[in-house]
This record gives sequence, structure tokens and C-alpha cells, in this order.
Amino acid sequence: MQRAIEKAGVPTICVTALPPVSRQNGTPRAAAPLVPMGANAGAPHDVAMQRGITIDALKLIETIETPGKIVPLPYEYHAQI
Amino acid sequence: MSLTVVKGLQSEIFVPVTPPSVFTKPTKPMKEWVVGLATAAGVHRKDQERFNLAGDFTWRKIPSDTPTDMLMVSHGGYDNSDVNKDINCMFPIERIHELVAEGIIAGEAPFHAGFMGGGGNIEKFTNETGPAIAEMFKEEGVDAVLVTAG
Repeated sequence: MQRAIEKAGVPTICVTALPPVSRQNGTPRAAAPLVPMGANAGAPHDVAMQRGITIDALKLIETIETPGKIVPLPYEYHAQI
Repeated sequence: MSLTVVKGLQSEIFVPVTPPSVFTKPTKPMKEWVVGLATAAGVHRKDQERFNLAGDFTWRKIPSDTPTDMLMVSHGGYDNSDVNKDINCMFPIERIHELVAEGIIAGEAPFHAGFMGGGGNIEKFTNETGPAIAEMFKEEGVDAVLVTAG
């Protein structure tokens, strides 16, 4: 999906909980906070974390120069299961 | 003759092939962007058709002015409990509204995209769903897309 959008000429960032999967699927660029699948953009109702992840991910569209690069983001959330 | 080459030898380990890279650079600074959201988390409006949890390559156009209590998830491939509490966990639409209001980005796409990732008919996703979503963002004049997937 990300690749299709990128191919159409629109830059993208993937916020991923599973960076190895994103790498394997050929992500153009990705941001990887330490989150479980299902809370990629941050913990529920944690506005500060969601905001941080959203802004930092968008900034990576400007700063990543190499196709396929995945940058860890300094946010951590462990779901209580 | 080469001692290191055996005809027809195959790896016992599954080695998937990473597709060739695609890469588009932004043409203007972030504060001038109109941003779109695309999520593989199975997000859609409550009045739209649910995804078939057994596999579904269709997608939903989500108007960006949809209130979050009108949004829901149908996806059988991950723990939905966080996203059921707060849709912004996978679809940070309220955070995008805030970034627009604060001038950190210029605007947001009139429509975002929701689909159900995690497998299904990959050929359909690659050849039909992906290009259709990409075309919508192109028509909307979107400068950058934030994708949540994987």
C-alpha cells in the first residue's frame, strides 16, 4: 500500500510495530516506536505520545535520504494483556 | 569445474525476496503539506460496510471530518482492544486535526483511506487496491501520507 502511494509520486512514512515485516515488504521509509501491533500511533488516550509519534514520523519524510530506511522512535508502550 | 557449485541446489531456508525500492522525495517543507492517512488497521465509518475478517481487499474512503465516535475497526488479525478504546491508536485523525490547527502542517486530505491489512489477496492489494488509494490521494492534492501498518 505504502509502495503504491509512493510509486504514484506521493511521499509516505509507515508507522510500524513490526519493523522486520516492513523491511521485508519493501517499505520506502518507516518509523518504529516500541509499541504493540494495534497501537502503532501510541497508547490509547495518551495524546502526548500520539502527537509525538505523528510529528516525528512526518518529519522523517523530510529527513530520510535512503530508500528502505527504518528509524526507531523513542516512545514506549506495553499493552496490558 | 567448480567445487562450490552444485546444480539445482536450493536453500532449505525460505528466503523471501524484497521488492525493488520505490522512493519519492517531498517537494516542499512540512508546514506546507496537505497530509493524508492510510491505515491497514481495518478502520471505517460505522455506517460503512464492515470488512470480511477472513480476508478482504476492499477499502473505505473515510471523510476527514468524521467524528471519532463514528469510526470503528473490523479486523481479525490483531488485538483490537486498544484501538477500540481510542481510534487514534491506529488512525491518529485527531492528532492530524491538531497539527493543522497549530500550523505544523497546512491541511489534511478531505478523505483518508482504511483497509484491512495482514494478508488476504496480495495480488489484488498490489494491483488494484493500492493504486486506487494512491489515485485518491493524488486527486486530493496530498503532499504526504502517514501509513499505519504492521
